[in-house]
Amino acid sequence: MAPRRSAGGSGAEMAAGGRAARGAAAAQSVCMVSDFFYPNMGGVESHIYQLSQCLIERGHKVLVVTHAYGGRRGVRYLSNGLKVYYLPLRVMYNQSTATTLFHSLPLLRCIFLRERVSVVHAHSSFSAMAHDALFHAKTMGLRTVFTDHSLFGFADVSSVLTNKLLTVSLCDTNHIICVSYTSKENTVLRAALDPRIVSVIPNAVDPTDFTPDPSRRDDGTVTIVVVSRLVYRKGIDLLSGIIPELCQKYPELHFLVGGEGPKRIVLEEVRERYQLHDRVRLLGALEHQDVRNVLVQGHIFLNTSLTEAFCMAIVEAASCGLQVVSTKVGGIPEVLPENLIILCEPSVKSLCDGLEKAIAQLRSGTLPSPEAVHNKVKTFYTWRDVAERTEKVYERVAGEKVLPMNERLDRLISHCGPVTGYIFALLAVLNFLFLVFLRWMTPDSIIDVAIDATGPKGAWTKQYFSGKKGRVKEEPPIS
Amino acid sequence: VCAQVETSPRRCWQKVLYERQPFPDNYVDQRFLEELRKNVHARQYQYWAVVFESGAVVQQLCSVCVFVVTWWYMDAGVLSPQGLFGAALVSSLLGYVLFDAIDAGVGRRESGRTRWADLKSTLVFIAFTYGFSPVLKTLTESISTDTIYAMSVFMLLGHLIFFDYGANAAIVSSTLSLNMAIFASVCLASRLPRSLHAFVMVTFAMQIFALWPMLQKKLKARTPRCYVAVTVLFALAALAGLASVSSVGAVLFASLLLSISCLCPYCLIRLQQLKDNIHGPWDEAEIKEDLSRFL
Repeated sequence: MAPRRSAGGSGAEMAAGGRAARGAAAAQSVCMVSDFFYPNMGGVESHIYQLSQCLIERGHKVLVVTHAYGGRRGVRYLSNGLKVYYLPLRVMYNQSTATTLFHSLPLLRCIFLRERVSVVHAHSSFSAMAHDALFHAKTMGLRTVFTDHSLFGFADVSSVLTNKLLTVSLCDTNHIICVSYTSKENTVLRAALDPRIVSVIPNAVDPTDFTPDPSRRDDGTVTIVVVSRLVYRKGIDLLSGIIPELCQKYPELHFLVGGEGPKRIVLEEVRERYQLHDRVRLLGALEHQDVRNVLVQGHIFLNTSLTEAFCMAIVEAASCGLQVVSTKVGGIPEVLPENLIILCEPSVKSLCDGLEKAIAQLRSGTLPSPEAVHNKVKTFYTWRDVAERTEKVYERVAGEKVLPMNERLDRLISHCGPVTGYIFALLAVLNFLFLVFLRWMTPDSIIDVAIDATGPKGAWTKQYFSGKKGRVKEEPPIS
Repeated sequence: VCAQVETSPRRCWQKVLYERQPFPDNYVDQRFLEELRKNVHARQYQYWAVVFESGAVVQQLCSVCVFVVTWWYMDAGVLSPQGLFGAALVSSLLGYVLFDAIDAGVGRRESGRTRWADLKSTLVFIAFTYGFSPVLKTLTESISTDTIYAMSVFMLLGHLIFFDYGANAAIVSSTLSLNMAIFASVCLASRLPRSLHAFVMVTFAMQIFALWPMLQKKLKARTPRCYVAVTVLFALAALAGLASVSSVGAVLFASLLLSISCLCPYCLIRLQQLKDNIHGPWDEAEIKEDLSRFL
């Protein structure tokens, strides 16, 4: 960690006292924890970044904790003084760190104390660091919030095990946020939760990044755009059946596929077999800022996902004024109103029918204009709204009490089954003893308080926001 | 669905995200989890149907038992190779006639296999086995008898594990199963006194492990009643044979057969009631079509 001067020399106790004086509705000091953050790209990463920016705008202090990405380690500042800790932890699998439930306690304790964190907000159930942070935060008596971004089945052995771990991790978490109602149902079932402590706050897209541009389309043809990772879960096998089926039927039909992945070979084979090189373009991996330029070249957006908690891609496409055709899986039916989306069963036939319907509407000119669609969609999901609703969750959590150790152990034992419950109760006790040991080694009072870049008394915020009233510039982070 | 619609001016909750609704974010509607389905693919079993299906396992256990007992008698010199060969030949011929008689030759016409082809492969097999039986006899001379017995036990167990009992599982492999049984028979045959014994043992193994299950399968599909009778008789024969060698073994084997055919189906049905399989819109969709036709 970069050395920081102590701001005023106030200890952790004083910091806690200051928070209490500001009251429950006051600004929070939020620590976002996830293994997934920039420079990694994806839905969770941009969610954390955008949410943090909007929370900073609303006067909260936000910092992000993630693991080191290659040479990117230590402390970095992103736009608006968003402080990111890249911790030197070993990556195990799929950018997720290993978990021992102990090794990260010294580091995280230090961060939580230095930054006077009041709420620990962990993201993504695939992130081991997020679960670790929840565990330590509860041991330290901090309030915890968890956002689940994905759906998970119940059928196979691996999901049985991960669901058990999720039960352990969430049984004493203060509040849980899901991105769609389907995701909420899924999480409540997986972790055996009380549905009242689970809020639904959808993802958002920045509508100014996804504006329509009808001049970029070629209206002599019909172009279907697909933007997704080319993996099995995104239904690329279905796409490989749809392409030949429709290309034989409609000679003026073109496909534009953006994204990279192991299933690319399947699409290449189809293109080879049916001699469609001039009509099916595979663009490969897209940078986030290029997605819009690809989307506006098409008339229809096709999403073939087999499972999806909240599909950002269809919102982005609709925001660009495209007619969306999608499989009816997971949370997708909740995302767009019926007049903007054609929902299909996850089969080649149903998706072809849906696409043919869209093509017929396009030809007869009954589709609404891209501008009209954009103006409608841009009111649906904004990060400001997400931040406002998340803030309500923080307020609610701030008013709740953190379970003391004995109640926490009771909760673990009664909630997680006789075997797992006792094992994790034991681990919680050991974690607590470890914390006592760390407190004895370096008392809380001698840990410096870090300079506050963001937040109500932040060094950065004052000079940055003084002349600005407009929206926070949501730009990719500096590197 | 929405009871308060008349009583209050409040709007009905909708499961949509694109509209801000006058409900808190953690609102739980009555419709929460309404799409939850339980045990969609769970099957309801009938006790006697399961018992009937367990016949395949019983049959195969008995086949292994009969084979080992026969080998025992050959090894002890009680059973002459000529006698066994004659008996096996007669029963094989009977089975052959029965195999076609059960479905009135429909299966044969569909497969398009001629009797001449059957005769040819039989002759080739017998000639080769007879020719190589001296080799079989001396093949494992350098290997300790204990190793041979241990190997036979493992091979016969493997045969039972991988045998195709009619379940659609990844572990099933009838080729591997048959090969393991033949390997076991070659191992055991090599410990018999003369090469004629070895030849007869291997042909007998072929009959009991390759031909007999085929006939059983057909019997089961065409004449279930006969199949039950045959299974019971075969099990009794195997038990009687085993009892003449070891009474303790016979008792143990009888209890094994009983538990497989009566106790296991009961447990299955009892455990089936505890099944709690959750399905809902969050499940990953399955691609049910065959997409290979596009490639």
